Amino acid sequence: MRADELLAQKHIVVCTGAGGVGKTTASAALALRAADAGRKVIVCTIDPARRLAQSLGLDGLKHDPTLVDASAFKRRKPKGELWAMMLDMKRTFDEMVLDLTSRDRAEAIFANPFYRHVSSTLAGTQEYMAMEKLWELHEEGRWELIVIDTPPTRNALDFLDAPRRLTDFFEGRFLRLMLWPYIKGAQGGIKLFNAGARAALRAVTKITGSELFSDVADFFVEFEGMYEQFKRRAVAVHELLGAKHTSFVVVTAPTEPSLREARFFADRLQQEKMPLGALLVNRTHDVPDAPGLQDPRALVAQVGGGPLADALAVYADWRTVAAREQRLLNTELGALGSTSVWRVPDLADDVNDAAALREIGELLATA
Amino acid sequence: MAILGPARVLMVSGKGGVGKSTVAAALAVAAAKRGERVLVADLEDRESVGPIFGLPKLPHQEHHIEAGITGLSVIPDEALVEYFRVVYRVPKFSRALLRSKAVEFATQTAPGIRDILLIGSIMQAERSRHDGRVQYDRIIVDAPPTGRLPRLLDAPRAIVELVRAGPIKPQAQRVLDLVLDPRRLQVVLVTLPEEMPVRETVEAVETLQKMDVTLGSIVVNGIWPALDSVGKNAKQKLRAPAEAAGLGAEALDALAAVASAHARRVANQRNTMTELSEQVTLPRIELPYLFTERIGRDEIDTLADLLEDR
Repeated sequence: MRADELLAQKHIVVCTGAGGVGKTTASAALALRAADAGRKVIVCTIDPARRLAQSLGLDGLKHDPTLVDASAFKRRKPKGELWAMMLDMKRTFDEMVLDLTSRDRAEAIFANPFYRHVSSTLAGTQEYMAMEKLWELHEEGRWELIVIDTPPTRNALDFLDAPRRLTDFFEGRFLRLMLWPYIKGAQGGIKLFNAGARAALRAVTKITGSELFSDVADFFVEFEGMYEQFKRRAVAVHELLGAKHTSFVVVTAPTEPSLREARFFADRLQQEKMPLGALLVNRTHDVPDAPGLQDPRALVAQVGGGPLADALAVYADWRTVAAREQRLLNTELGALGSTSVWRVPDLADDVNDAAALREIGELLATA
Repeated sequence: MAILGPARVLMVSGKGGVGKSTVAAALAVAAAKRGERVLVADLEDRESVGPIFGLPKLPHQEHHIEAGITGLSVIPDEALVEYFRVVYRVPKFSRALLRSKAVEFATQTAPGIRDILLIGSIMQAERSRHDGRVQYDRIIVDAPPTGRLPRLLDAPRAIVELVRAGPIKPQAQRVLDLVLDPRRLQVVLVTLPEEMPVRETVEAVETLQKMDVTLGSIVVNGIWPALDSVGKNAKQKLRAPAEAAGLGAEALDALAAVASAHARRVANQRNTMTELSEQVTLPRIELPYLFTERIGRDEIDTLADLLEDR
């Protein structure tokens, strides 16, 4: 699918990929392009570069949707609207708890030390909260298009697995069985244990000490009654991700590890029947061909020295890199068949204003 | 080379995509070239260091991968089983434990246990002896990225403070001793000469120094060569010599476009590096961007030699 087509038709665009490939910049560029085309757009980013955040008016902690100020766009204001926000994982979790339970229960949960661990450091929480925020923004119904950036996961697959893993964790049949003896007022639960679980519990208590388990048990008691809603929410989010009006854009750098990961992720999306819109290969080195430049290295020798020889040497180097990238693209992405590949040449500068984002948007649209 | 100093354990970290696995592999090769017996270990079981040595992943048990270099991919579940095996000497029980999902339980609910086990495995390799001397002269760890590293290295302290009893406490104390001993462990941060990785590096330096973790040199990977003779107005500068060399307008445009992009890149790199040197006083080692057909084992050799020279 072409970028403009995707931006005009979809309601949700999820930008994903490994860390350090330019997901945040790509998300912002896509969102601005859609806003320029007249749509009402929000981009939810995770950790934007400071100057990019400044350019979007997100300097300071703007965790609420904020309309990007007209001054950010110089003379060319978008036809539609561009909103932006940064994800606050802990706050999103708190809000979800408040949404799913009574205020008293919520306060008790917030006070539990174990909740602080779960909401800030448990594996998969950040990924899950990005999805929760997506669901909230969708429910609010204020935006025609939601572009969401995703956290830099250990590997891109974590992103799809996190909601399920976290749901399992909270549903916690196993956990509750394990914690039964620590739940205040519980009686006779130990009888329910099979020998294996008893042995496992003894072993785990041996290494952690038993006090920790009291906090954890309290936490699960407080969470009682939320499991079902929590699970329903996770199912709803999963359905939203698979919906017709959703599209994934897998962002990758033109390097071997990054492309390999992108391919795995694309495969995985297809297995899960999630809609893969395109692969965005970011920061490629594209070198224009020209008559007379077939063998730039030979020319370097002929020219001898000076600016032309230096420019020819650099040109030859870039061509080697371009060939390397093309070879990697062919070998790593060849198997993906009809998936669109958008190539965005390296701008060689840090992208930190609307003009640069628009330049990337233009490159995306013509890719 | 200062980077291979007295500390036997080097934890190599950096923002995602900066080439930390490449640098970890190059450090391992550099140390092996000196005649050291090297263990290169991955803490996240990724396809990162493995492919550089022609393997899909590093092996899950210590395994010889090339002259002087042993590879190991540390998996927390396996580490827990290993821990039980060593502490309780009950291998059968360990397997049952693994099956019972208790590992997932312990590693997810008890903050830091997983991290203690990961560093614990490294510590075990550090202490391991063979024929009356240490088994490894150098342990190069392809560590988690800078976003997760402080939490990993802070876990032993957290456990020491949190857990009141049980065998995990002395274990955590031993791991903490390793993490805080400059003669035993150093963190090597890898960055690219670009805004985001440098910003993350600066933040990581501050955080790790507050934790009293010793930092080695900062490795700046992928330095682009300067193109000072062309500078701004590339087309103007190149027009006359290009004509003299018989190159047409199209060739001039192509050369000027690439030269300008390159010059912008280098200018940007200079600014970023100035920022880095203003904010971080640690020694720096620069590695060049490699304009090669592929980044394979030969290129790692090149980088290893450069690391040794600087």
